[in-house]
Amino acid sequence: MKIYSNYTMMRKLTALGLVAGILSVPAIAQTKIEFKEFDLDNGLHVIMHQDNTTPIVVTSVLYHVGSKNEQPDRTGFAHFFEHLMFEGSENIERGEYMNIIQAHGGTLNAYTSNDITYYYESLPSNELELALYMESERMLHSKVDQTGVDTQREVVKEEKRQSYDNRPYGSILIETLKRAYTDHPYRWAPIGSLDDLNAASIEEFQQFYKDFYVPNNATLTIAGDIDYKQTEEWVKKYFSEIPKGTKEIYRPNVKEPKKTAEIRDIVYDNIQIPAVIQAYNLPPKNDADSYALSMLSTYLTGGNSSLMTKELVDKQQKALAVAAIPLDLEDGGIFIMYGITNMGVEPNDLETEIDRLIKQVQDNGISESDFEKLQNIMENNIVSGNSSMAGVAENLAEAHVMFGEADYVNKVMEAYSKVTKADIQRVAKEYLTLDGRVVLYYLPKPTEAAQ
Amino acid sequence: MKKITIAFVLSLLVSVASFAQVDRSQFPKAGPAPIIKIGEAETFTLDNGLKVFVVENDKLPRVSFTLVLERDPLFEGDKAGLTGFVGQMMKAGTTSRSKDQIDEEIDFIGANLGVSSTSISASSLKKHQEKILDLMADVLYNPIFPEDELEKLKKQSLTALATSKDEPNAISGRLSSAMVYGKDHPYGEVETETSISKVTVEDVKDYYTTFFKPNIAYLAIVGDMSKSEAEEVVKKYFSEWERGDVPKFTYDAPTPPSKKMVGLVDRSSSVQTVIDIAQPIDLTLGDEDYISSRVLNQIFGGGSSSRLFMNLREDKGYTYGAYSSFSADKLIGEFSANASVRTEVTDSAVVEFIYEINRLVDEGVTEEELEKAKSNLAGSFGRSLESPSTIATFALNIERYGLPKDYYETYLQKMNALTVADINKTAKKLIDPDKLYITAVGNGAEIKDKLAQFGEVTLYDNMGFPAREMEAVDPDMTSEKVIESYIAAIGGRDKATSIKSAKLEMQAEVMGTQLTIELIHDDANMRFAQKTLVGGNVMQTSVVKDGKGSASVQGQSMAMTDEQVDAAKLSTYFLPELHYQTMGYTLTLDGIKDVEGTPAYKIIVATPLGSSVNNYYSVESGLKIKNENPASGDTFYSDYQEKNGVLIPMSQTIKSAMIPVPLEAKVTGLELNPELDEEDFN
Repeated sequence: MKIYSNYTMMRKLTALGLVAGILSVPAIAQTKIEFKEFDLDNGLHVIMHQDNTTPIVVTSVLYHVGSKNEQPDRTGFAHFFEHLMFEGSENIERGEYMNIIQAHGGTLNAYTSNDITYYYESLPSNELELALYMESERMLHSKVDQTGVDTQREVVKEEKRQSYDNRPYGSILIETLKRAYTDHPYRWAPIGSLDDLNAASIEEFQQFYKDFYVPNNATLTIAGDIDYKQTEEWVKKYFSEIPKGTKEIYRPNVKEPKKTAEIRDIVYDNIQIPAVIQAYNLPPKNDADSYALSMLSTYLTGGNSSLMTKELVDKQQKALAVAAIPLDLEDGGIFIMYGITNMGVEPNDLETEIDRLIKQVQDNGISESDFEKLQNIMENNIVSGNSSMAGVAENLAEAHVMFGEADYVNKVMEAYSKVTKADIQRVAKEYLTLDGRVVLYYLPKPTEAAQ
Repeated sequence: MKKITIAFVLSLLVSVASFAQVDRSQFPKAGPAPIIKIGEAETFTLDNGLKVFVVENDKLPRVSFTLVLERDPLFEGDKAGLTGFVGQMMKAGTTSRSKDQIDEEIDFIGANLGVSSTSISASSLKKHQEKILDLMADVLYNPIFPEDELEKLKKQSLTALATSKDEPNAISGRLSSAMVYGKDHPYGEVETETSISKVTVEDVKDYYTTFFKPNIAYLAIVGDMSKSEAEEVVKKYFSEWERGDVPKFTYDAPTPPSKKMVGLVDRSSSVQTVIDIAQPIDLTLGDEDYISSRVLNQIFGGGSSSRLFMNLREDKGYTYGAYSSFSADKLIGEFSANASVRTEVTDSAVVEFIYEINRLVDEGVTEEELEKAKSNLAGSFGRSLESPSTIATFALNIERYGLPKDYYETYLQKMNALTVADINKTAKKLIDPDKLYITAVGNGAEIKDKLAQFGEVTLYDNMGFPAREMEAVDPDMTSEKVIESYIAAIGGRDKATSIKSAKLEMQAEVMGTQLTIELIHDDANMRFAQKTLVGGNVMQTSVVKDGKGSASVQGQSMAMTDEQVDAAKLSTYFLPELHYQTMGYTLTLDGIKDVEGTPAYKIIVATPLGSSVNNYYSVESGLKIKNENPASGDTFYSDYQEKNGVLIPMSQTIKSAMIPVPLEAKVTGLELNPELDEEDFN
């Protein structure tokens, strides 16, 4: 079994998700997403969205557990469970989870972030009961045993090798988080440490399952060709008997201290071309400034006519590629910028130019026409975000967990339309502070280079 | 009232009971299969012949316009590559807009506009539709085809071609197309340096004026737009488009070989073999066998639970994945089964492929396989309907392939009605296991003889042309004689040994950046230093002296291991051939090979520790024309000039996995027997 799960994908989905329920400028009425919600006695929150256009249904469970809920000497647990929970249950044979879904015409996937773990399957709508049964099996009594742990440890090892160690620039997130946080558990990435996974006993894994994979820490979302009443009945049938967790869910209450000095380092990696990474600490995901920061990143590197792409890639040709990604996390994420140098360009030469352009935005702001273009681009992205049932399900679940109400999906556009041209300049000044950031140079590892 | 109450209480009881007694040992049964409603496309036709399909979907305020030209496949001949430039050239400027203006205007409204030789597609938010249609129409009616843009595109194309010549999968694609369709068929021809360079702006213009005609075009509009609005905008933007006669082309249908044939491209640096077993098949969308061929493929090699994957990956571990396809096409379809496998198991993998193909045709499929494949395909069919563009594709297909109007409406019914016997009949009809093309791209020295058991092996070059026939090596020829004739060719042993050291400077350009390579060889003292500068900055250096070696990249230095020093020594001498014997290297003559059209003796030079390089010496001139080094790639030597009575190559072309494009390096400085001191090797 091979579940595709990596952080890049998570980013893509979240970026889409954030934008999705979100923005629109008043000129355009965002299509309202209708939904119904209820809670079971065991604390499971359920969101349903009916759309009968296509006979498919997406069923998802968002567990509010990510790498930040792990202990410092037991990192990688949440991501490991993403794998472990495909191992089967008391009634699902080992390794059969995926085959069953596929044999019924479905497809499935999962991902883990610093904040959450998300599982979903898309099936023909007459298989909804099966999907609910499968997810309830997973929540009620997943197989957490030595055989499964041993198998998945090998798979995760392979995944780490393929996605992080062997992939050029694959360790960027790990290396950046490590330096961007000193206190908060965001300092380790979801992939975590293989040593921690090796050191952990089976009892520890079982305890982690009992602590976090409980109905009161989960949000079940069903979107697609459904009947509300029938769906509610089936949800009750399969999920009511799952016992509520007995402990309070551990959520770290750590305030990351503000950085006052720049942290600068060199990372030698298996790459041919050097890269410059900058990371700035962000406010919590639900902070009002998140919208302006997301627009700022689009202004800097979104599309061929964006400031840095045009200036550094096209005109000066100092960079092969540049990107600004706001990794917005529940307790405050990081704004990551990276530039890959062109042949013969020194990293510090590229960095000087990146800094100059950041300074330019801080000092002069952006033009009226660029602001308008930016709104148009954002709006187009956002409108497209709810075009699939998978997207709607994820946006609803995230809205409920991260923003306190599923209806947030219908309100974000309002929040976005409040962002002004001046806000973009302001957040550039406030958050992209040169004296409180992380700067990494990625350089090729010296090898035997006899020509 | 009472009745109702009782019913209510009963229902409560029932549901409470059902909570307590969920039988978790049984999977829930599926409900009745949902009825798949496929939205119908509205159609209308303009006077100029443009056929329009409208799929209204107002879930989101977006709209897309896709224009497709339905022309016969084109054999481009000596201008192969032409059609690849048409789309970019049309977007490169119009009578009223420069390329930059077009790009900026598209970005400004957050829209997309793509152009190819047979299509234009545009999409935007509903409120920007006038703007994007204006841009689309401008590109369609008023392109100016700037000369300099074509030059830029041709250059990019040549770079891409150079890269793809060393790309095993690209080579495999060219090889099997050449065998299955033949080089004189539109699907078998390839673009070459010559054909690309022959394309002119006039050719692009001619293509545009010949084929961009409304009477062979379909326009699909999908999204927030009603038929009546569509009629309005289409009339406004497309009614003045003038019809014209478009030429038609026919081609002889390729036929399978009379017996199994093996095609091989020798790529000696390969550690994997790309295997593709293929056959032309007569299959078009809408054919009687079309739907059953989808099911057949799902069972045979469509996914990770199919037969090929289960056998070659899960059971044997030969490969990361093995797959098959049955492509359908109006002209000619193709059956293909493929995988990249470790060199050592190349023949075993072919045996398994052939075994599976025979088993499929002779024994057929099972009921269980059929049911699983049906569910799987029905699921993905259902999911595909979520995207409105699928509906537009269906409508277009019905028109283009002359399908019954309810073809897709009843697609799942037709699929579900298929029996094991139907699938088996299709397998027998489409595949002829005795007439397969077996193609392989890999290390010929390792796999050529092993492949002979499957059929006559024909050698091809990396462009899919038959490799030049190489004569057999004269039985009297030995590796020592090849080296001796090389030394004689460069000027004789006396003159060659008089060169004890050399300083060499080479210049190359990579994607607009200057690259300098400085080499210092001290053959007498077994010292060597190398420095690579990019844009004047030292990027990387390496030094070998006193039996030790070190390398540094961007200032970070590292000592070489004994194995690395051993391997490095193979390239530290200025004239290494003079030292092979004293170094105790083993030389093996591995036949005559085709080096870019020149027959050459291949000599494998191996150190006692097991490092090796391959050298190629021209049969005719005796000169060394190529070196293959597992660490640094392939180097081609040319432009030999006499220096101090010895012929030295003044030009080197380096191909390596580490650099994106082949490096053309020219010797710009050469000092023979210079003064050398310690400084040179620090």
